[in-house]
Amino acid sequence: MRTPSHEETPGELTRTEPKDWAAGVPAVRKALEYSLSETTPRRTALTLLTMNQVTGIDCPGCAWPDPAPGKRHVNEYCENGAKHINDEATSKRVTREFFAQHSVSDLAQRSDQWLNDQGRLTEPMLKRAGSDHYEPVAWREAIGLLADELRSLDSPDEATFYTSGRVSNEAAFLLQLFARAYGTNNLPDCSNMCHESSGAALHETLGTGKGTVTLLDLQHADLVLLVGQNPGSNHPRQLSALEETKLNGGRIVAINPLPEAGLKRFKNPQKPRGVVGRGVDIADRFLQVRIGGDLALFRALNRLLLEAEDAAPGTVLDRDFIDTSTSGFEAFSDHVRSTDWDQVLTDTGLTRAEIEGLRDEVLASDRVVVCWAMGLTQHRHAVPTIREIVNFLMLRGNLGKPGSGACPVRGHSNVQGDRTMGIWEKMPDGFLDAIQQEFGFDPPRHHGVDAVKAIHAMHDGDVKVFLGMAGNFVSAAPDTAYTEEAMRRCRLTAHVSTKLNRSHVVTGEAALILPTLGRTEVDVQDGGPQFVTVENSMSVVHQSRGKLEPSSRLLLSEVAILCRLARATLGPDTTVPWDTFEADYGAIRDRISRIVPGFGDFNARVAEPGGFALPNPVNEGFFLTETGTAQFSVNTGEAPHAPPGHLVLQTLRSHDQWNTIPYTDDDRYRGIHGSRRIVMVNADDLTELGLAEGDLVDVVSVWGDGVERRAPGFRLVPYPTPRGCAAAYYPETNVLVPLDHVDETSGQPASKSITVRFERV
Amino acid sequence: MRTLEVTAEVAVPIRTAYDQWTRFESFPRFMSTVREVEQVRPAVTRWLIGLGPVTREFHAEILEQEPDSHISWRSWDRRLRHAGTVSFTPVDPQRTLVTIAVRCATWTGPGVVTLPLVRRTLAAELEHFRVFIEGVGDAGETWRGTIHDGRLKHLKNQPPTVPGWQHG
Repeated sequence: MRTPSHEETPGELTRTEPKDWAAGVPAVRKALEYSLSETTPRRTALTLLTMNQVTGIDCPGCAWPDPAPGKRHVNEYCENGAKHINDEATSKRVTREFFAQHSVSDLAQRSDQWLNDQGRLTEPMLKRAGSDHYEPVAWREAIGLLADELRSLDSPDEATFYTSGRVSNEAAFLLQLFARAYGTNNLPDCSNMCHESSGAALHETLGTGKGTVTLLDLQHADLVLLVGQNPGSNHPRQLSALEETKLNGGRIVAINPLPEAGLKRFKNPQKPRGVVGRGVDIADRFLQVRIGGDLALFRALNRLLLEAEDAAPGTVLDRDFIDTSTSGFEAFSDHVRSTDWDQVLTDTGLTRAEIEGLRDEVLASDRVVVCWAMGLTQHRHAVPTIREIVNFLMLRGNLGKPGSGACPVRGHSNVQGDRTMGIWEKMPDGFLDAIQQEFGFDPPRHHGVDAVKAIHAMHDGDVKVFLGMAGNFVSAAPDTAYTEEAMRRCRLTAHVSTKLNRSHVVTGEAALILPTLGRTEVDVQDGGPQFVTVENSMSVVHQSRGKLEPSSRLLLSEVAILCRLARATLGPDTTVPWDTFEADYGAIRDRISRIVPGFGDFNARVAEPGGFALPNPVNEGFFLTETGTAQFSVNTGEAPHAPPGHLVLQTLRSHDQWNTIPYTDDDRYRGIHGSRRIVMVNADDLTELGLAEGDLVDVVSVWGDGVERRAPGFRLVPYPTPRGCAAAYYPETNVLVPLDHVDETSGQPASKSITVRFERV
Repeated sequence: MRTLEVTAEVAVPIRTAYDQWTRFESFPRFMSTVREVEQVRPAVTRWLIGLGPVTREFHAEILEQEPDSHISWRSWDRRLRHAGTVSFTPVDPQRTLVTIAVRCATWTGPGVVTLPLVRRTLAAELEHFRVFIEGVGDAGETWRGTIHDGRLKHLKNQPPTVPGWQHG
């Protein structure tokens, strides 16, 4: 067992040179080392060799799509996926003896890393009101207690049901069905904190919240822009697709505050050139933009494109597309032409020559894809930024044709599918009408709460019961102290989980841990062996079949837990056949096929090898917006600039981390080892602030509400981040993110642009 | 870049000839070198072709498609990089001239695959097409929309059925 690392004690920090390439043999070695430290060689082989295969386990790690059946490698996974799946397949177990030994207040002092490292949960546990210990409880009593609490509320809106992206389509469909049958639309999800801004911007401008590209588009684009993303650590299999792009003659421009290893070079461990050669260069050009400078960059780029068209009419813009398929061009054009260059250079930290170089790349490319991740979505001006990228794509007609389009890279395995299944607090009437027609009850029509509003509601006492389906809500959410206080004010908090995390130890008066089967495990119900389905980031819906023997005989599947909870809460008069659903997931899919558009004949289509792709209206020539056309937009929004003595901080993952769970204290690619309580700062900023490498500081964020938010005990590390910008790991620095520091359209927390200062300890 | 061109007169109306040609997935029924075709999406197809023991798989993008007129494509295979156009010209109401023009940019394959061989193969396959469509005489209902610069234009305003709400 690893040494527990307490939250506020920095470890022994050592540093090496940041890597200039990703993956290669070290990635294979690290993946196997971690896997074998968690479980047996047999289980490791079973998980890894079936992972992302047609009849195998869908990696719960990320939503990156799989190659077509017949095109997959024997080892179709990445380092982080291998770690993640064997983190779930671990042979370690958390038993009732563990909970007898550790009080809740003891566990609350432990880090997420330590909690995760204890192993798989094995039986339901209950923390009664007033007790400081979890105790074992039978499933019937656990579910009955939760149902009793739900029935006792004055209004169904006093409960909230959170979904994390690991949850399957079937379980997500049942969760929203249960919540609505119970009487609430309070369905926050992890999308609210990761890609809500992408969905809002794309839905408004293109009529779809989903990305428009497939793997083939990415591989055959002339130019790929990687904006605000770190594929080497957060979606490493994307590097294989980008390698193909390069081999096909495409070019790549990376736009990011940090020069991440995976943006530079990729050594594909499945190919000789990746094992013994130098691999493939990824970015042909790197623009080290300031944090949050992307809106200014794309506005300037769009201005340059308009001016290039002025200089050579008919050669730059796709006038046919603009004239026939879009609206709002004139207003957009007028606005962009007024872009102030001095402001652009201040906001981006780039030179005009660098931006003109990007323009030249664009002009030399017929087909362009723009990929992005949370480097764009977690800002106060995230939606305007993404809308401006849509403007950019529209100018040269880079939508709806092969090799081009918009690619929001979603991070969690089924985060997109969960929304498709109706996990949203604002589902349209058409969906609710279909529920009513199918099941005979009238779902509530008033909107529910998203993640931020749920936290406020819990804090204010308006929500009293919290149920989390998977995830680690407390650590994923911003404003840690406020969020934790909100959870503690609940009467009951309950979590359906595979492993222990901080959300189990920051509890309401009473708390339940409801242990569930993992994606890796065989799921047998009364109707026989079951499989679940997921939807990846490129809208392909496919199966996932568990292979391992369950970690405990007392685990229930997510579907089973929800069906039992629904029966216990709604009573015998429910019009939903929960028993049938629990016994046979195919029966759930039959209902989904009648309610969710595009899922007709779901069971038959998902039985096909590789599943089926949901069509994207944009690629079919349709823009399902209010005007029926793609919408140019006028975007304003200020890039974050810190006042003197302050910096703009972005929170990010280390390489050795999956969402809120660090596996070690190392960040191999960035050359940071032994401690996660560090802040990466430009060396010149350190000097200007009168600080030095290794100084121990408290990080204090500045926000207009007058509340002091402090992350104590961080070491300063000089790092090649742009001037005025800093970076530190979450969840440790979530405490600094004010809850209402959000994009005003999407409501997504702006965790990548926090104004901070350092106070020497 | 070399251009290969083959032509055949087909004894069916232009609409029939065009419609049958757009049924790409049926090509293995009558073309001996086409082993498999998948319509990945309206403007993208995947081809598995074989000449004796040599097989090659590639994707092709349809750049232009105009009903009863022409279809232009380009391959996405870096070793078999080519582009082509098949055009349909009415000779009279019951006869159509079908012309295939292929431009080869790179052709790095086994040495036996020479341009003359490719020309002979194209001519043979076009003849297979002629025999098939004249024998069948009817191609049935097919998609009649247009593609311009890779982008679709439908005849009817019927968007696909999709979950149209905002995604996060």
